[in-house]
Amino acid sequence: MCDCCSVEKEKDIYLPEPASINACRMLNGTEMYMHIGLDSGKPLGHAPGQFVEVSVAGIGEAPLTVASSPTQSGFELVVRNVGRVSGAMHGMTAGHKLGIRGPFGSIYPVDEMKGRDLVFICGGIGLVPQRAFINYVLDNRSDYGEVVILQGTKCYADRLFCDEVAEWCARDDVQLLETIDLPDKQWDGNVGVVTTLIPKIGVDLKKAGVLVCGPPIMYKFVLMSLMEQQVPMDHVFLNLERRMKCGVGKCGHCQINGLYVCQSGPVYRYSDLAGVPEAI
Amino acid sequence: MSISKLSKTDFKEFVDGLLSSGKMVMGVQAHGERFAFDVLKSAGDLRLDYDVTILPPKKYVLPQVETLLTYTLPEQYKSQYQEGEMILLGVHPYDMAAINQMDILFSQDQYDTHYMLRRKKMTIIACDVATPSKNVFAASMGTATVHEGYDILLTDIGDAYVIEAATDKGRSLVQGAAGLANASAQDEAARQAVWDKNKIELNKHPLKCKPSDIPALLDKAYNHPVWDEKARTCFACGSCNTTCPTCYCFDVQDDVSWDRTAGKRYRAWDGCLLENFATVAGNHNFRKARADRFRHRLYRKGKYVPAKIGGRIACVGCGRCITACIPDIANPVAIYNRLVEDLGVAPKK
Amino acid sequence: MSKPRVAIFDFACCEGCQLQIVNLEEEILDLIGAVDVVEWREAMAETSEEYDIAIIEGSITRPEDEDRIRTIRSRAKILIAIGACATIGGINKLKNNFDLDEVRNCVYGEAGQMEHLETGQTKAVDEVVKVDYKVHGCPMTGSEFAYVVRCLLMGKTPEIPDYPVCVECKMKENVCRWEYGEICIGPITRAGCGAKCPSAGFRCFGCRGYVDNPNVEAAKEVMDKYGLTVDDLRSKLVLFGSKQRPTYE
Repeated sequence: MCDCCSVEKEKDIYLPEPASINACRMLNGTEMYMHIGLDSGKPLGHAPGQFVEVSVAGIGEAPLTVASSPTQSGFELVVRNVGRVSGAMHGMTAGHKLGIRGPFGSIYPVDEMKGRDLVFICGGIGLVPQRAFINYVLDNRSDYGEVVILQGTKCYADRLFCDEVAEWCARDDVQLLETIDLPDKQWDGNVGVVTTLIPKIGVDLKKAGVLVCGPPIMYKFVLMSLMEQQVPMDHVFLNLERRMKCGVGKCGHCQINGLYVCQSGPVYRYSDLAGVPEAI
Repeated sequence: MSISKLSKTDFKEFVDGLLSSGKMVMGVQAHGERFAFDVLKSAGDLRLDYDVTILPPKKYVLPQVETLLTYTLPEQYKSQYQEGEMILLGVHPYDMAAINQMDILFSQDQYDTHYMLRRKKMTIIACDVATPSKNVFAASMGTATVHEGYDILLTDIGDAYVIEAATDKGRSLVQGAAGLANASAQDEAARQAVWDKNKIELNKHPLKCKPSDIPALLDKAYNHPVWDEKARTCFACGSCNTTCPTCYCFDVQDDVSWDRTAGKRYRAWDGCLLENFATVAGNHNFRKARADRFRHRLYRKGKYVPAKIGGRIACVGCGRCITACIPDIANPVAIYNRLVEDLGVAPKK
Repeated sequence: MSKPRVAIFDFACCEGCQLQIVNLEEEILDLIGAVDVVEWREAMAETSEEYDIAIIEGSITRPEDEDRIRTIRSRAKILIAIGACATIGGINKLKNNFDLDEVRNCVYGEAGQMEHLETGQTKAVDEVVKVDYKVHGCPMTGSEFAYVVRCLLMGKTPEIPDYPVCVECKMKENVCRWEYGEICIGPITRAGCGAKCPSAGFRCFGCRGYVDNPNVEAAKEVMDKYGLTVDDLRSKLVLFGSKQRPTYE
């Protein structure tokens, strides 16, 4: 071990940066949207797919994937009230302070996908991480080929970013297909799980980049469907949620087999997950 | 590297000298019928003839509970670092090997200042094993002796200790010790004899393959019945984690003052065998089955961690998990040997 | 935020857990400063029908107790059960191993037939009403109680251990009681006590109740390994484990 260098010069990887909530609102009955800026005024410096550890002093930390594209100012998070930190965040309003560590983790293949068709397959709250890449693509529209967005939601009341989804839908350079699992009177569109939309895609799936994010149960069925359509495994990218507690590859909670999701994930190329049985 | 020796009487003087200089020394002492590292108050309490301590010296390198940050509400954080220097006295080679692994893990990728600063303020006096414990198998893991990581290495050669000061920190500590003499060729030969003996005798559970065969062996073993068979009687009590010198997973929690104006964030030992280790917010448990958690531990030791630290196997053969496991299922050698018998050591085709 | 109104009630118990509150020493002043105690029979004369947090000690053993606890529940936003009697039924549940008339006769003789000594099956509080949080132990662990209250003041769910006592026992560097040939029930008992009994040289008695998912299937094989029987184990479980229901919801 080197005795000569001073360790204090190194940054404390557990120390959050102060940040403030600029705006927040409920997106539906369970999901809260927040627009956040670092108090330093610096950009977060994230790329689509990366996550931050949100800290609430006295409560704890929780990993949340950034919901916005780095092409926009500040950054956005969407949080469901399921735990201690998210519960505390649901009690917050504009002006409240938060701590932020990160960004951490792997990124969507923003460069590799240039010139390619993209298919986003989203289940429920899985739209949130995907939105970071979708808006990145739309802000750099000419760099990419066709854009297809499939969104599956459990029920009408759970739909997220309805205005934005409507805007995407209205664009002639985006194909957006939406389905609802348990429809009510308000919904007259597609019915069923998100996999039912896959045959309706207007691009050649075998050549497209396919980006998947949703609840744990969804991956299995989406992947089965994609493999049936002979989509190459290295064209498919999955965003996997785990218990990313420290965010810096130490604490061990997010590990799936040998992979620390906080370091090599949360975005994985499906072909890299062969031999990682705990992933799906 | 300078090799010298001190008679046992002079060594006692040397230790008392360390203590009277006000240095914080954690030394191995009797603890009931066993041994443990604890604050050393007198050289007479030091037991370098010990077999194994109940907990590894990990408890000083990565404390059971460690405050990382303090804060005032709302959201004013301050890093907290452990003050003071510390000497660990009597670290066995297998435990030294474990600390060497942790040094890599906490400094690679994202540099953990809390761990590393504490390590830099620590002086480690290792000592070769004088009494093998009932479950040690360090010889199988290549950790019966150690040649890096320590500041000083002691070897009991009968009436004296051979003293190898490996770092400046180590040299400055032994420098000027009364009775310090250069080790003779004979003394060095006596030390070599201790090493040769330990490389054979610290092996109560011989491994039937080379440690370097283990990652490839595990490549073939994921669906082997041994995981279910063993885990059937697992209490998920985490004793194999808690007593392991290479387990370093931790939990992070917050606590606040009664008036809710201030608080701290601390990390505490955690274990991958415990029921909710992989449970996420919303209560989905990604490793719900005991057998899956049981397998995860053996894979971490034999495959996952080695991949992060240049192939070193993250089991150092201390045998503590074997002693600590009530249903007697934790023995890594019993599992790896079973896999060797069933699957062979040739790599997966 | 105004101070939450707290009321403390006792049912069938020895009141040792309330004593643990008093035993918080300096911290009791912090506690009293952070909350507004509106009823606490052991410490004050006032009573109240309006409170945010009800703290319940003791188990439910008589029909009229059930009515009383339901009334308390209906008035409280949060209900905390403290101590083994309240969280798992505790030692009081030993009674449930016997015929109730036999129990009355054994304790009171002929006088046991008097109306006010009517008794029922012992129940943990959550067998009658919803319990929001449990502070386990006999007596409850004072520091854990303080932690739970601080969490509630912060509006966060406290983290109550769901792992066995062995975790804390190993951290204390105790020699395992099984090595002395004792049947210690630490491996299936919820931690949080800091392994007090094994640290003092006794086996774990199981006062904090079972972990959520105890490995009961392991019992026979492990008993065989140590030359013991499942009946030996049962005899150790009877004190706190009699008719214990799962401690999770």
